[in-house]
Amino acid sequence: MTLTSDAAAIELNETLASGHDRLWQGLGECGTWWSGAERVAAIAEARQALRCELCKARSEALTPAMVAGDHDCVSALPAPAIDLIHRLTTDPGRLSNDWALRVIDAITEEAYVELATVICVQYVIDSFNRCLDLPLRDLPLAGDGSPSQVRPDGVGDVGAWVSQAVDKSLANVSRAASLVPDTEILWREVVQMHYSRGAQFADLVWDRGLSRPQVELLASTVSALNECFY
Amino acid sequence: MTNGDLLVRYAESAVRGDSDLPSVRKEVELAVGTHGLIEAAATVSAFEGLNRLADATGIQLDAGLADESADFRTALGLDSYSGAASTTSQGSPGRAADVMGIFR
Repeated sequence: MTLTSDAAAIELNETLASGHDRLWQGLGECGTWWSGAERVAAIAEARQALRCELCKARSEALTPAMVAGDHDCVSALPAPAIDLIHRLTTDPGRLSNDWALRVIDAITEEAYVELATVICVQYVIDSFNRCLDLPLRDLPLAGDGSPSQVRPDGVGDVGAWVSQAVDKSLANVSRAASLVPDTEILWREVVQMHYSRGAQFADLVWDRGLSRPQVELLASTVSALNECFY
Repeated sequence: MTNGDLLVRYAESAVRGDSDLPSVRKEVELAVGTHGLIEAAATVSAFEGLNRLADATGIQLDAGLADESADFRTALGLDSYSGAASTTSQGSPGRAADVMGIFR
């Protein structure tokens, strides 16, 4: 059997497919710091980043800062937000704290984390479809409402570029988006669905389509290609 | 590792968007089955996202992770990655007793 359609994938893994349906629409809902329309625009912008000439030139340069210019954008989002979306999509291994602080100064720390989290969930789902040669999903419908702009309690400086939950019971990567809990839910769900799967994460032997060593080999290869230190 | 070379080729081709992705995908499906291929796609895509969120938020290595990797990070060139600047502790070489111990 070959994977040539969404229907085949749904037949093979209904949980994953229905989970993607739910998460994808969640990306289009109104967030805490960005409206539904802005989040949908961000997803369109992330797809556009893969065709952006500036991003292509920067990714080939010794450092991204060597190449000035404007992104080939498709949205009316603020320029710092567009830069975040494009760089996170196309050159994540060379983001810097100075650059992040400039974006945060322009759009706020909370908006930065929410936008980054939306783009990461979107990237996981789009990447999954590209990996299996499935068509990319249509953009989600934009939900109504206005961002509440409520910062959660229990977050602060724990040594990252952005505030996170100060409760250290979770791994740093597991609380990376804790500044925006309503969007963090989508992030945690997609990671659980694709990789960690609850209590299974602590087991060294997995009863899946691949063994745990095979899964970790894939994970390490992707992380090395992206030059991700964590 | 069984099919290790093939899985690495799949991950490389998928992340880079190489033109040989369709043929490598077929090889993977033949070797590990359709569910294995879906598992591979789920893992590759999960880490495409995990890498990006870790890099965008500048998180530090957890203490256990710094210890676990202290004796091979430099040898593998990991300390030269841009994101290494986010972590202040180099860690002391050591092995965690279990998976969760890595993230203490």
